[in-house]
Amino acid sequence: MDFTQHELGPGVRLYLCETGKFKTLTCKAFVQQDLKPRTAAAAALVPLLLRRGAQRFPTTRDIARELEELYAADFSADVLKIGERQILEFYFQMIDPALLPEGEKLLRRGLETFWEISSRPYGSGRFHEPYFEQEKHTLIQELEGLVNEKHSYALVRCTALMCSEEPFGIYKYGDVDTVRSLENQEVYDHYQQLVNSYPLDVFVVGSGTEQAAEVLAELIKGRDGRNALHSPQQVEVGAPRCFEEFMDVQQAVLVMGYRTQITYPDANYYGLLVGNGILGGFPHSKLFMNVRERASLAYSVSSSIEGSKGLLTISAGISAEQQEQAVEIIQEQVRSIQEGMISREELEQTKSGMISSMNSMNDSPAGLINRNLIGIVHNQLRTIDEVVESISAVSLDDVVRAMQHLQHDTTYILRPSPQKGAANGSN
Amino acid sequence: MDQIRIPGGEVLYKEYLPNGLAVLVLPKKQFLRTFGILSVRYGSFDSKFRVPGGDVVEVPPGIAHFLEHKLFEEEEGSVFDRYAAWGASVNAYTSYMQTSYLFSTIENWRESLAYLVEFVNAPHLTEENVEKEKGIIEQELRMYADHPDFKILSMLMENLYHEHPVRLDIGGTVESVRSITVEQLQLCYDTFYQPANMALVVVGDIDPEDACELVRSRYPERSGPGYAVERFDPKEPQEIVQPWAEAELPISRPRYMLGFKHDPLWQGEDLLRTQITMTLGLKLLAGRSSRAYGELYETGLIDDSFYASFRGLPRLAYSVFASDTDEPETLHERLVQRINQLKEGGVDAAEIERFKKDFWGRTVGSLDSFEFTANRITASHFEDVPYHRYLEVLQEVTAADVQSALQDLLDWDRSSVSILKPVNSRG
Repeated sequence: MDFTQHELGPGVRLYLCETGKFKTLTCKAFVQQDLKPRTAAAAALVPLLLRRGAQRFPTTRDIARELEELYAADFSADVLKIGERQILEFYFQMIDPALLPEGEKLLRRGLETFWEISSRPYGSGRFHEPYFEQEKHTLIQELEGLVNEKHSYALVRCTALMCSEEPFGIYKYGDVDTVRSLENQEVYDHYQQLVNSYPLDVFVVGSGTEQAAEVLAELIKGRDGRNALHSPQQVEVGAPRCFEEFMDVQQAVLVMGYRTQITYPDANYYGLLVGNGILGGFPHSKLFMNVRERASLAYSVSSSIEGSKGLLTISAGISAEQQEQAVEIIQEQVRSIQEGMISREELEQTKSGMISSMNSMNDSPAGLINRNLIGIVHNQLRTIDEVVESISAVSLDDVVRAMQHLQHDTTYILRPSPQKGAANGSN
Repeated sequence: MDQIRIPGGEVLYKEYLPNGLAVLVLPKKQFLRTFGILSVRYGSFDSKFRVPGGDVVEVPPGIAHFLEHKLFEEEEGSVFDRYAAWGASVNAYTSYMQTSYLFSTIENWRESLAYLVEFVNAPHLTEENVEKEKGIIEQELRMYADHPDFKILSMLMENLYHEHPVRLDIGGTVESVRSITVEQLQLCYDTFYQPANMALVVVGDIDPEDACELVRSRYPERSGPGYAVERFDPKEPQEIVQPWAEAELPISRPRYMLGFKHDPLWQGEDLLRTQITMTLGLKLLAGRSSRAYGELYETGLIDDSFYASFRGLPRLAYSVFASDTDEPETLHERLVQRINQLKEGGVDAAEIERFKKDFWGRTVGSLDSFEFTANRITASHFEDVPYHRYLEVLQEVTAADVQSALQDLLDWDRSSVSILKPVNSRG
């Protein structure tokens, strides 16, 4: 099961996956731009503004009513960060029109509603001013609220500190000071540019995608998305750095950041992915088995790859007094992979787990679409079968070679304030 | 096997094995994944019960969850390793009234299913491995304790309920977990893990008879009574504990949660009807298309996090309204006004009809998620709710039903407010 690709115009592509197995028709559109402080903050405001109102649906309430009339159609928008690109995402899902009364009419109405909300925000020549001011405030609160979820906060802090001199250090929603200084006209103009002249990729999954394609082609016509984008540069890594932050928390969160120097287009990319799987991608991985099951130091411990920038991060929720022991066990696991201490079972289990989750993408509309994001950023889509084949071909040597590129860059720990009775800072 | 047509037009196959286990299979054509979930009607509420043919005992809170962790232990290796070798993943969770073990796989579904019924029926509890688990569970409890969503709900439950076990964390407390012994775990296991107290749901492109036969031939022989266990809920007074409570946590802005305590009096189709009626009623009060949502958002009293929900189980029922807000007191005043207004009249039949379209779409669309569907099948089985009647009952519910449910259930004398306020402890 895969996508057929159609060019709707320069830099504008439509991908269709025709299948009758889902009860839903799913559509996602992605616009990408280089990650820069000011435009990142501007783009992050857009999803918040879109949900407030469109020309034909001036309020949130009007939008919600229309979606209810469409039998629980769903619209949302968000921004994502892949490498040093920021992606503006528009999402629309409705029940397979074939299951609805007057399905064909509702399909057209649904897609028109989708495009109305995505491309014709309420206001004239700029965003409706009260909405703009209020949503700026909402975004600032969102940024300040990052601290509420300790684990994701720690991950964001670690990458921000690690890449403070690179575009990747910018958070996907920008930063508070920049958001505060944004002007309505400026954000509106940038948004217009984004939807009209940046690369646009539209994915549709469901049955009757041909009719959907006709309607979408009509709605999207006349765009030129050939704006040139750049790719991240690799950086030199100095001596490892350590940061600690104190907060009134019960549990410490430890994050260790590494540079991989390997990204999606590289020959040994899948060697790195498998290496990460062996290290901390699964419950049978070295980190889980050693930090959790053997040493009982954590409930959650795992590692993940950023395949476009070239990073590997390890995170664990631990007791602050056991930081040294945890760091030591974690580093030992990385070293053992670099030295090739990987059993045949570990390699095979990891590969089959990765192949299984890759094949599972076939069963979820969002999975089918989202897995292509890194491909559109690197202008090189790969099918599920191609990825499965690449993973199957990874040898123990490939894993060792890839993992030997790892360079430890930054350690970050969020820990209970010392006055709460925890151990003293370790630096 | 019995065939039951479920909402969305699919057919569920059901059979009771001679040992009492309920086997439910939902075939899903063209899907690659097979998902199996074996559940025990046993959760955090069940700490006081009669040992079959013996005394009434009370065990420390958190024991159902502790058992869930321990069943992953094998004499040699771990359950994770076995599934990994098949390219499958395995997991488990514990809730108020249920413990569930699940796998997901692309290949080897027979092995995965046979092993699911095998490992859940083969506890391996030793002094050593029980002690070791305590450190892991402690970190899990601390992780939740730092989580504001979790914290505010548990605060609310403590203020609504005097005696009911919903007051306690599903995982227990650090102290109760430390006190748990091998003997207690074994006693609970023997009492509750009886086939007649369990249900297996399998979803995937498989033949139901084939799956059922496999389980029949591979389900281990179990000694034990196999009948429903007598459980004792403490007597819960009508009154709440206190109407208002505040606490501090390191978060960016205050959180507000209003809760109403209901008597869990409904059974079977009544329970289903109440669930649907209250879902429609709360949508009218607080959904995106509601007047309150629009007004509260415009005035900056709520943000996107605002929601209302009804939870109705055979042994517990409550409704909550919650949001992040800078002015919890003002938000409370406005909500009181709006709820009273709607209680007095004004449930609009046209809105209810539109909600029914929305509800219908959500129900049908949710069939795309194996996890969601399997959970609903399991819950309906345990709670004895006629899942197949879902959409019919939906059509039967009237605006007048919604009106009277809101009047009856949103009783201010049985409500309580919890507020979390930020404490700035970052140093």
